Amino acid sequence: MESSFIERAKTSCALGGAIAAVSSLPRAIPIVHASGGCAQTLSATYNLGSGYKGPGYCSGTMTPTSNITENDIVFGGEERLEEQIESTLRIMDGDLYFVVTGCQVEIIGDNAARVAGRFKNHSVPVLYASTPGFLGDGFKGCEAVLSSLVTDFIEPCARKDLKTVNILGFTPGQDVFYRGNIENIVLLLAKLGIKVNSFFGHGETAASIKTYGRAGHNLVFSEIHGQRTARAFEEKHGIPSLTVDLPVGDTGAETFLRQIAGPLKIPAGKLNEVIAEERSYYYSYFRSFLEIYGDLDYQRYAVIAADINYAFPLTRFVSEDLGWIPHLVVISEQPQSPEAEGKYADKFLTLTARVRPKVIFEANTGQILRHLNESWPPNRNEKYYNRLAPLFLIGSSLEGSVAQKTGAQFLPVSYPVTNRAVLTKGYTGFRGGLTLAEDIFSSLVSNR
Amino acid sequence: MTEEDLTSGLVYNYTQAAEPPTRDTRIEPTNAYLGSCRSLKLAMGQGCAKFNSRYFSQGVGCQLILALGIVRTFQNVVTIIHGPLGCASNNIGLAGFNKTARALKGKPAGDVIWIHTNLNESDVIQGGTDKLREAVLYAEKEFRPDVIVIGNSCVPGIIGDDIDSLVDELESRLSAKLVPVHCEGFRSRFVASGYDAAYHGLLRKMVDPPAVIDSVIERSPDEEERLDRIRRQNSRTVNLLNVGSTSYGDEVELSRILSALGLKVNVLPLYGHVDEIAKMGEAALNISICATHDDYLIGHLKERFGTPYVIDTLPIGLKNTNQWLRAVGRALNLTDETESLIRTETAQLTLALEPFKKILAGKSVWVGGGETRIFTTAEFFQSLGLKVLGLKPHNFDRFAVPMLDDMEEPETVAAVAAGQPAEELVYLKRLKPDLYIGHGGANGWVLRLGIPTIPLYGQSLNHLGYSGAYELARKAVRALLNTNLARKAAANVTLPFKDEWFESDPQANIKESLASVI
Repeated sequence: MESSFIERAKTSCALGGAIAAVSSLPRAIPIVHASGGCAQTLSATYNLGSGYKGPGYCSGTMTPTSNITENDIVFGGEERLEEQIESTLRIMDGDLYFVVTGCQVEIIGDNAARVAGRFKNHSVPVLYASTPGFLGDGFKGCEAVLSSLVTDFIEPCARKDLKTVNILGFTPGQDVFYRGNIENIVLLLAKLGIKVNSFFGHGETAASIKTYGRAGHNLVFSEIHGQRTARAFEEKHGIPSLTVDLPVGDTGAETFLRQIAGPLKIPAGKLNEVIAEERSYYYSYFRSFLEIYGDLDYQRYAVIAADINYAFPLTRFVSEDLGWIPHLVVISEQPQSPEAEGKYADKFLTLTARVRPKVIFEANTGQILRHLNESWPPNRNEKYYNRLAPLFLIGSSLEGSVAQKTGAQFLPVSYPVTNRAVLTKGYTGFRGGLTLAEDIFSSLVSNR
Repeated sequence: MTEEDLTSGLVYNYTQAAEPPTRDTRIEPTNAYLGSCRSLKLAMGQGCAKFNSRYFSQGVGCQLILALGIVRTFQNVVTIIHGPLGCASNNIGLAGFNKTARALKGKPAGDVIWIHTNLNESDVIQGGTDKLREAVLYAEKEFRPDVIVIGNSCVPGIIGDDIDSLVDELESRLSAKLVPVHCEGFRSRFVASGYDAAYHGLLRKMVDPPAVIDSVIERSPDEEERLDRIRRQNSRTVNLLNVGSTSYGDEVELSRILSALGLKVNVLPLYGHVDEIAKMGEAALNISICATHDDYLIGHLKERFGTPYVIDTLPIGLKNTNQWLRAVGRALNLTDETESLIRTETAQLTLALEPFKKILAGKSVWVGGGETRIFTTAEFFQSLGLKVLGLKPHNFDRFAVPMLDDMEEPETVAAVAAGQPAEELVYLKRLKPDLYIGHGGANGWVLRLGIPTIPLYGQSLNHLGYSGAYELARKAVRALLNTNLARKAAANVTLPFKDEWFESDPQANIKESLASVI
């Protein structure tokens, strides 16, 4: 699709996503081959903008970088990169080093892959991914890093273990809740006897990542993101992939489990048992909100402004589990083709509320307010006017002013989230649905 | 130190050029020197540190970020970043900060708006000015801004996009002022070049010549000049030049002090309205609180409009606030008033600091961040009885040389390093100061060493002027009341270094260039 300018893009560039990804891998050290400001600036995009996730093991001001200057642009920066890799290996303590590149060195044609290759006999792996900013957004950088791991680091394994899956589509930083989301998936699938490989989850190590070639399946929790890595797994390791939506809440989690049960050969009895058990747990807590929902009229018109990973799952949760009116969905990313766009929009046809939301793909943040205004007839000074109210907006922190202008109550979930501080919280699974319900209802009662 | 000494030999006649010279050639600072205050002074005298670099390096920052840090704050501005999506994507993390700062400073609230031209692979080959044109026209139509600033990034800088011709083409079609800022990251090793880049744009496109006094008598050019001088001398209007790290509390305090001298204070140019900035040339005096930040701006204003300036020091702590105020008094012939004010303020503050001094005496401190801010902050804590173990300026240049003499102990560590927590942490692990005062992005690593920290500056923190001195002392005392978090962090959160690094000599990481050996 044609590329245009973007007003307040909710992302960084490929290098930004790559640094966030490497610094979220276990004891991994990024080595940034670029100008002096890239490492720090791009890190700050996520370290601050993603619920204050911070620099992890090694990013932000700590990131080793070649700091290319005008002189290197003229004469080439490969020598400088070699010096930087060599000194980083000497000083920094990592289990995995990852050379990632910025625009400047890719334009002048530095062969960073070759320079990184000179270190292939080093005791600790030195990997490489091409990640110039002009490649695209932060998601793409994460994909470049993971794809390199899949093709250059993960060991081939002929015997597959059907009870192990690789999960993909979680992008550190771009998903503010990636750690909690991963953890919830791990716990949910453990109930079915499935072991999860997640790259970024708690307890992973470089050594464990090396064995991901054994997995029987890849589960990709996104129509777009993680698909390149999945293809790399398929091509290099012969691991087939299943694409699923983020399973948020009761409906989402059940759909997810039933979708994977066949391919993963989970016995129906076991599947139904786990669903029943989790559902019972879910409602044993959720029932607490029935009183305020009923007494205080906490049904809402819902507007969702989110990235493609969150847009449908959040809408499904408020529609199917909370019984809200899904009114408008503004998705901040563009699928690759009109067909893919149509396919994504079709997901919303499965919702069972009497009205279906209007679905719009719009990258310019400032246009969300216009779309919302245009989605409802204005008040022409009528005595009896059917307002779009009460309204609840789930978006990013940048939608705070839209909420204010439209009188909507508000919860930021999609990146960026700068007015919440996030540690373990995640919204996936039955239990994640409870967490989301807690956050939504907390917002509703926050002025009491 | 007089203003002339600090800026002697510097010229500011660059506004005809599309872009300013970078600090690399204009000021010749260094950002790679590890030694003591004594040896640094020697090295600066010999001019031998400016070409130094490093074997192992961490990020030194990007001038685009500092340039946008200025222009992004203007009222009703749209910033266009001409580049891929990553350049200044840290806007996302800072948008809330700027929004809050606007509110705190009583300025019209509203979202901070920026646009990326989103240069992709094919733009790298074909050029991106068409996208830039579309972005400018979109900004004008959608947001009706007073000013549109274009920040130029590395990619268009390398492929040679001619943004100045585009500005010429569009300028007359817009109601907004259109300001190009050349701040391509790779062009300078010193982020402070970004201040000059932003102010170059501001000086060329946003500041008007002072209005001529309306008079029925026809005047000769000489007469005109004389009248102009009188007009300014009679005026009590001064510009207090703010920076990204001055909080609203700082601005209130410094305005209070200046108002006590009978001055009318414009706090500018950050968070300023386009009309206020246009009239910057009309003030009687430009008062800087940071030479590193402002010399380009005030040098130009002096060359163009003859406006004198104060660039002496950063008003942190008693000594430097008094020194700064005396410079203002001298410039405006208000010496008696100044001395009387200083007497009163000094007596009150000295008394108020007494209880804190008792607690802080004998403790030790390390300060890292911008050169003028860290030396003045360190001087203040030294005056409270703390031992200054070391300073880490991001870069070092002529503006901070006189401050070296303020350190009681000449062998105090001076580690000049933009960022570079690796080197700083080696010093800190060895010297174990009781307290670390650091720039954003540095404090978290230091906590992992078990050293309690306080931030060098902050959006809601008042550290400047007399009240700022009291707040700083109060904060240091509070930080030492409970250091459990640092202790727990050190015990449980690891730093990404090998043990050998902490045993090595960080000075060996500095690559002295051949030029510096000569």
